[in-house]
Amino acid sequence: MDGFLLVLWAVRLLFLGLIYLFLARVIRALLRDLRAAAREPTDRPGRLIVLESPGGEPLAGQSFGLDVITGLGRDVNNAIVIDDPFASADHAVLTYRGRSWYLEDLGSTNGSYINGRRVDGVAAMGFGDELQIGQVRMRLERASG
Amino acid sequence: MMIGSGAARRPLGRTTIHVAIVMSLAFALLAGAAGYWGMVRAPELVRSPNDAAVIAAARTVPRGLIRDRTGRLLADNKKDEHGEFYRVYAGSALSQVVGYASPTFGRAGLERAYDAELTGLAGDPLTDAFAKFGAKRYDPKDLTVSLSLDLQRAAVAALGKRRGAVVMLDPRTGEVLALASTPSYDASAIANPDTARAAFSALQADPALPLLPRATLGRYVPGSVFKIATAVAGLGSGAITPRTTFKQQPAAEKNGLLVEGYRVQDGHHPATGTTALDLVGATEVSCNIYYALTGLETGGADLVAYAERMGFGSPLPFDLPTAVSQVTNGEGRQPGGFADDVELANASYGQAETFVTPLQMALVAATVAHDGDLMRPRLVTSLTGDLSGSRTIGAESMGRVISATDARAINAAMVRAVEGPLGRQYTSGAKVAGVTTAGKSGTAELGGTGEPHSWFIGFAPAENPRVVIAVLVEQAGRGGEVAAPIAGDLMTLYLKGPS
Amino acid sequence: MTQDATGMTRETRGPALPRVLGPIRPRPRWVESRLLALVAIALVVGSLSLGATVNGTFRLFDARGLAIYLGALLAAHVAQVLAGRRTDQVLLPTVAMLGGISLLLMQRLPQDLVTQTFFGVTLGLAEVQLVWLLCALAVATTLGIVIRSDSWLRRYKYTWAAVGVGLLLLTFVFGTEINGQRLTLQIGPFSGQPTELLKVILVVFLAGYLSENRALIVEQDTRLGPLRLPPLPYLAPMVAMWAIALGIVVVQRDLGAALLFFGVFLAMLYVATGRLSLVVIGLVLFVLGSALMATLFDHIRTRVDIWLDPFVDPLGAGYQIVQALHAFARGGLVGVGLGAGLPEIGGRPPIPEVHTDFPLAALGEELGIVGVVAILGLFLVVVERGLRIGAAAADDFRSLLAVGLALVIGIQAFIIAAGNLKVLPLTGVTLPFISYGGSSLLANALVVGLLLALSDKGVEPPPLPRVSSRWRRMGRTSAA
Repeated sequence: MDGFLLVLWAVRLLFLGLIYLFLARVIRALLRDLRAAAREPTDRPGRLIVLESPGGEPLAGQSFGLDVITGLGRDVNNAIVIDDPFASADHAVLTYRGRSWYLEDLGSTNGSYINGRRVDGVAAMGFGDELQIGQVRMRLERASG
Repeated sequence: MMIGSGAARRPLGRTTIHVAIVMSLAFALLAGAAGYWGMVRAPELVRSPNDAAVIAAARTVPRGLIRDRTGRLLADNKKDEHGEFYRVYAGSALSQVVGYASPTFGRAGLERAYDAELTGLAGDPLTDAFAKFGAKRYDPKDLTVSLSLDLQRAAVAALGKRRGAVVMLDPRTGEVLALASTPSYDASAIANPDTARAAFSALQADPALPLLPRATLGRYVPGSVFKIATAVAGLGSGAITPRTTFKQQPAAEKNGLLVEGYRVQDGHHPATGTTALDLVGATEVSCNIYYALTGLETGGADLVAYAERMGFGSPLPFDLPTAVSQVTNGEGRQPGGFADDVELANASYGQAETFVTPLQMALVAATVAHDGDLMRPRLVTSLTGDLSGSRTIGAESMGRVISATDARAINAAMVRAVEGPLGRQYTSGAKVAGVTTAGKSGTAELGGTGEPHSWFIGFAPAENPRVVIAVLVEQAGRGGEVAAPIAGDLMTLYLKGPS
Repeated sequence: MTQDATGMTRETRGPALPRVLGPIRPRPRWVESRLLALVAIALVVGSLSLGATVNGTFRLFDARGLAIYLGALLAAHVAQVLAGRRTDQVLLPTVAMLGGISLLLMQRLPQDLVTQTFFGVTLGLAEVQLVWLLCALAVATTLGIVIRSDSWLRRYKYTWAAVGVGLLLLTFVFGTEINGQRLTLQIGPFSGQPTELLKVILVVFLAGYLSENRALIVEQDTRLGPLRLPPLPYLAPMVAMWAIALGIVVVQRDLGAALLFFGVFLAMLYVATGRLSLVVIGLVLFVLGSALMATLFDHIRTRVDIWLDPFVDPLGAGYQIVQALHAFARGGLVGVGLGAGLPEIGGRPPIPEVHTDFPLAALGEELGIVGVVAILGLFLVVVERGLRIGAAAADDFRSLLAVGLALVIGIQAFIIAAGNLKVLPLTGVTLPFISYGGSSLLANALVVGLLLALSDKGVEPPPLPRVSSRWRRMGRTSAA
């Protein structure tokens, strides 16, 4: 077998090897991602119960499971849609960070209220606190159980 | 209905995982299929004549040559006006053996049996696997076959316009010296792309079946030549000895032998009078009664068993495909598969349900000729390739059928059949001048209308046989008259050279 | 329109338009860049091996084409970095690898298999494929950057369904007939296969329908003897799907599309409801339907006969699949090398339609079992990413949409690969990203683009909030 052929076959096998190297890297990235996902707590850290909702969206009495970041507002892309004339499209965000809940008002027209007090920027919330957006009142509770 | 609560959400995750598992299994199945076609079925597919690489090679790589035992060319390559190769052959005498290789009509004969080697693909799987890494991927092998071109041509000439077959082989090695079938055809006409279509349709339409290699694939009633096989079974199983005689035999000559209500007749030999014949005597005059009694004495099971040792009952181990020879069709309940003793008696002298190929009968004679040790028949003796070098196919024994003593006894009987005072009347012309010749003629009755087949099997010189011959001429009449002289001429030609 | 638990419908306010451009906030995508670099090196090495095989010296085979392709990959990567969305970083490189292999294959085949004239310039096979690959990359990248809301998909599912059926009818009535199949629509110089688009529309419709009615299908039952079926009004659209699938087979003679649609439908049904009984019933119905079709229609029966034993007629009806299997056989474990396979018969590649129907067989011969398994692995990666995106999605609609899109690619790849390997009868679907074909590439790019858009993880969970910090939400809200 002459030299050229030897090198040619080396190149061909290298090509195949590189495709497999790519696959290996990809699989490594996938596994890392899956492991990270597995480590996430699947339990909801909390829920919001709707106390009062004159507009009917969300329904009074409905309970929403909360994620680490939950958006509230009139826009349908929010996790919790509040269809109230006094709610802004992107009204507020509820986040769970380091064992505590925080509400940030996103510059809404009519403001967000925790236990009757207007939220300016970011404010902490605890279980049992009431949140008012527009005419809708909700209460933050622990996840069931 | 936006974000569901936890309970309704979880099944979505779980079912997604199930789907992921199913998809993985499905793709694993595909990977397995790829492995199947790429490794398991690959060796067979890569050699098939439908493979694109094989087709491409056939057009550009010269096919291996085929030579006879002295090196004369039997199959060669020529280039046509497009620069592509096609085959030419050394004459129609070879066509039944060498066959043809045609792009349109495929392959036949040795061209087909050794297609992979002649194209240059075959080798051991390991070499094949690495062949593609080397620059030269095709290594066509030249074949050397044991045929003698002169003998082959003479055999075909001797058969002339009649339909029949001649098999000649060397009993010491199993090499086939001549394998002639007539009518034959011109294989070069099929291999030549210009004439292929016309030639092939003409051949297919011919009622004489020129494409049939009668020597290996034709099945015929053997008649009396089968008695040698019966003798082998009788002596081998110990049912008879060379000196055994049957008391009822002389009387049965006149009145016929009664076997279960059926009369076995024999009308050949008033000359022996009332003597009970032994093996030699019965063979000399081809006594049906003696052999019927021998067969009954041996029993169906042993008859079939010894026949199978000589190759009956399955395709012969040979370079070309062979038809299966049988002693009986095996559907009966009696030992060996015979329906009853009548069939057994008739089979013992080569009638009833016995069907043989000429090659098979040559092997029967070869058993006796080689003192009971049957050598495997073969055509190809060596394969030579540029890259792989030369590989010889050696002689190989099919096994010991009977003891040397028994074989010599039958040998002596067959010598008498050719050279004895009574025998030579039935086998005139079979004797090679100056050489002790052994043999047996046969007249195979076909039942109903039509002339019987004419048979002869034999070998020479009897003390140390160098050639075995089997001749069959379809429906030519009595064996002694037609087949025997052909055998004698051909054996003379081989042993003494052209006159 | 939304439906609450009491079954009342309400008009929510007007449709939200997709927000096209968010603020430009570049975010590095290291994983993607490393993977793309690996893709580039692999394709260069592949091109070298092809060049060496064909020309005898170690030069790139078609340096210009490869450079354009790699440049397009770089552009796509940079665009995504600039857009700064936290979308999946594995999908694009994987698709790029598949596209690159396709490009090398098309470069290696005789260029006159396809000729198309665009504005006076005549292009051969590889060049046309390159053009479509570039378009596909553009589509996928653009969708991945631009689509930030899915309401336009979610809300108008029946509209989409109508569009789909309309397309189907249009093709049936006005389509050009090729080989007895009416699959292509020709508008001016462009011709495409609407079936490709149809599969995406189908997934959108099913995702919307199933996510909305999921609870009802899971929890309520109609009893039919010992069987527990979903409530009848919900059964109706599903039976309609089955009928459409069979209709496609009968009318369009497109076995592959029917298989694909039905497979995706059943899979999405299972994912949405978790009820194996539905799948089993679906399969039974499908088998019965196919058996009926096979007995009634000769062309289907011939296909099945050829599939069962193509070697019976290796020079006639079985020619294509027999040659394909021979190609795999010649390839062996590592193949014969790019450019060294496919010995020509009469000056043409031995496998008819190798660039559309049998690219896997050609790759099997040149890259061997090792190569084929790698390619299958790449497809599995795409499917896995899509399923993962679905499992992590914020809500049911997105989840089902992502799962459905992933399966559309995966099941299609499976069907045609199985056809090449005689595991299933041969059908006319294309191998995503590898087969030649503009409509196929574009439709699959659409799928990948949507998956990218759906994979946006949103912003990082914020640091412990300070009073003055403010950020704009750019993506969808969901757990990272």
